[in-house]
Amino acid sequence: MTQAEIKLCSLLLQEHFGEIVEKIGVHLVRTGSQPLRVIAHDTGTSLDQVKKALCVLIQHNLVIHRVHKRGVVEYEAQCSRVLRMLRYPRYIYTAKTLYSDTGELLVEELLLNGKMTMSAVVKKVADRLTETMEDGKTMDYAEVSNTFVRLADTHFVQRCPVVPATENSEPGPPPPAPTLVISEKDMYLVPKLSLIGKGKRRRSSDEDATGEPKAKRPKHTSDNKEPIPDDGIYWQANLDRFHQHFRDQAIVSAVANRMDQTSSEIVRTMLRMSEITTSSSAPFTQPLSSNEIFRSLPVGYNISKQVLDQYLTLLADDPLEFVGKSGDSGGGMYVINLHKALGCLATASLESVVQERFGSRCARIFRLVLQKKHLEQKQVEDFAMIPAKEAKDMLYKMLSENFISLQEIPKTPDHAPSRTFYLYTVNIPSAARMLLHRCYKSVANLIERRQFETKENKRLLEKSQRVEAIIASMQATGAEEAQLQEIEEMITAPERQQLETLKRNVNKLDACEIQVDETIFLLESYIESTLKRQ
Amino acid sequence: MAEVKVKVQPPDADPVEIENRIIELCHQFPHGITDQVIQNEMPHIEAQQRAVAINRLLSMGQLDLLRSNTGLLYRIKDSQNAGPVSFFLSKMKGSDNQEKLVYQIIEDAGNKGIWSRDIRYKSNLPLTEINKILKNLESKKLIKAVKSVAASKKKVYMLYNLQPDRSVTGGAWYSDQDFESEFVEVLNQQCFKFLQTKAETARESKQNPMIQRNSSFASSHEVWKFICELGISKVELSMEDIETILNTLIYDGKVEMTIIAAKEGTVGSVDGHMKLYRAVNPVIPPTGLVRAPCGLCPVFDDCHEGGEISPSNCVYMTEWLEF
Repeated sequence: MTQAEIKLCSLLLQEHFGEIVEKIGVHLVRTGSQPLRVIAHDTGTSLDQVKKALCVLIQHNLVIHRVHKRGVVEYEAQCSRVLRMLRYPRYIYTAKTLYSDTGELLVEELLLNGKMTMSAVVKKVADRLTETMEDGKTMDYAEVSNTFVRLADTHFVQRCPVVPATENSEPGPPPPAPTLVISEKDMYLVPKLSLIGKGKRRRSSDEDATGEPKAKRPKHTSDNKEPIPDDGIYWQANLDRFHQHFRDQAIVSAVANRMDQTSSEIVRTMLRMSEITTSSSAPFTQPLSSNEIFRSLPVGYNISKQVLDQYLTLLADDPLEFVGKSGDSGGGMYVINLHKALGCLATASLESVVQERFGSRCARIFRLVLQKKHLEQKQVEDFAMIPAKEAKDMLYKMLSENFISLQEIPKTPDHAPSRTFYLYTVNIPSAARMLLHRCYKSVANLIERRQFETKENKRLLEKSQRVEAIIASMQATGAEEAQLQEIEEMITAPERQQLETLKRNVNKLDACEIQVDETIFLLESYIESTLKRQ
Repeated sequence: MAEVKVKVQPPDADPVEIENRIIELCHQFPHGITDQVIQNEMPHIEAQQRAVAINRLLSMGQLDLLRSNTGLLYRIKDSQNAGPVSFFLSKMKGSDNQEKLVYQIIEDAGNKGIWSRDIRYKSNLPLTEINKILKNLESKKLIKAVKSVAASKKKVYMLYNLQPDRSVTGGAWYSDQDFESEFVEVLNQQCFKFLQTKAETARESKQNPMIQRNSSFASSHEVWKFICELGISKVELSMEDIETILNTLIYDGKVEMTIIAAKEGTVGSVDGHMKLYRAVNPVIPPTGLVRAPCGLCPVFDDCHEGGEISPSNCVYMTEWLEF
């Protein structure tokens, strides 16, 4: 793991879980898999605390355990999974767009708690929703569990691996740590639960509500004594599926930018049809015939079959090569070229970074070398139509930042510089990795700045919190308007201004982290896809 | 009557006659004739007269003197050189043979020109002599020096009335050895605007997508005509020039190109295919990293917590937060 990644992991763990977990987590990230005692010894924390920290990390799927040879159990942290914590807001937002507030809260609860049983999460979400609803209304469990089932059907949530049920248990001692397994077909199987009930409010301040809880309370307590029907079946959020969704979104918006709205809708339909059938790491989707696509188009879109065929031909002929034609049966079989699409998006990110950092003329040279693969100094000047001095300057600047590399081709065996060809070239995977590293460091910088800003104004924040608490308590006991005014004026106008600025800055930094994370996602998907192809 | 010793001259001993005969012989053998052949043809002429005739023809520039492995060859000079040669003769009356030699070397270089060091190698004359001769010839307006754009210190010499080759002057984009960047920029923008308006009109026509796309294309010939009619260029531009400009637009990511097969004879087709260009939008908006100040920071590598440059006291971040 690179320094930048370790730093980012440490910041994220500290923010979400606290100091002790951060210490253990970073130690594991840095040193790989270690047994329990070694961790305790190296980090200097007591065994008890290490155990608790490991529990937290395992619960959130950040650390896995494995039985090593000779029966030693080792714990390994998964750095990439820790970095996903940056993307939680995006996952929650996606769930909101697809399944509205219920879905949003379900995914949020699952992400915050790592693993939960279905009944627990449904109950919690129903309670939360009920609080936000108007008085007198409650959220029905059935509705929430319906949304949950839909999430499971579209593979956004999956079951966690379980201890295998060994009927004929071996006579020997049980293994030191269970190896968890889950079979493919069980992963999305929702247990048959009949969850009846409604969400409850925390504060029962209304007359109507007081009647109900009293009646329900005995039932509620008796509920606790009954065993939860789906004990042992835990669910977690399926991050790969979310990533697939983000990737599809990126491809569709790229097509919309390059061509028009209708083409992007067609591509979206094709991607939706291959959601379940194609694995997330395949380079191509399954071939889809034009008839199938026509039938699956969204209902509001009434374009005729010929127009659809024309659009598909145009998509297949486009130099972007997102869509390819793989056969002629069924009116033409079309595939989406996922690997190439990711490559194109990653290259576009690289180009945009070069453009913003060095200027549009540098971007021209960069794109030129990308297209022509290998070029000499003189050829670069000729093709790009930039004066020789400036072109040289720009090439060297990009070379020093490792966007462009040099390839030497010697004419003589002694590699004399005057008799060697020097060709400029762009190595996309290495440039992508370099940029990814820079992204990690940028996010770490942004988080640090945000923490710094908060720390600077800590005194002010504490004061405003105290004032709010006082106001709230006074409102509860029924204070007069004048008294409330007085308390509010404890915070002077410039202080209020400062608080506003602080809030704005923190929001801005937060939003920026998410934006940089978008670039991280594109680059990571591209690198992963390239690695899988080899 | 005293007998006067009269040198009996054979009937065709007239010098002009000799020269004409020699020229006829040369025409008969366009690859050149040796001294032996002339001797065989006109056995009655003495060697001295022959030499005089040949020298006159040489100085008049009607014969070329070549050396072969058998000896010396005389060859008739090509008629197309006869014009400037006579002009040259009138100027060169006073010059010596060295100058003639240098002039010939420069002439042979054609419109690429030749460097002074190469002239020295070919003529084996010392440097000082070469320089004197070159200055002489230049003042007589027979040759000129053209600065090469590839190496700005090098001067190549060529005949006065020849147009320098494109490789020396750089073609339409160079005026007096200077690369005209503003000219290229202006052309760049004009071409892009033309393609953009074409694409927009095509998009607004709202017909079926095939027609829409095809009408948003413009062939290189169309763009060339548009630029010529626009009249912003003092120099005449060829279609290849326009294609190089359109290629720079492709490298800017604003335009894409396809090649289609076109029938020979349709306007603008070269070797049976045509290049079509179309304005396009960028594939993604500026990526997330560049929205953070860290993405554009010049001192990124020096920045770490607790150092001189750190996220907590970053000036760029402070400025950015104030937006």
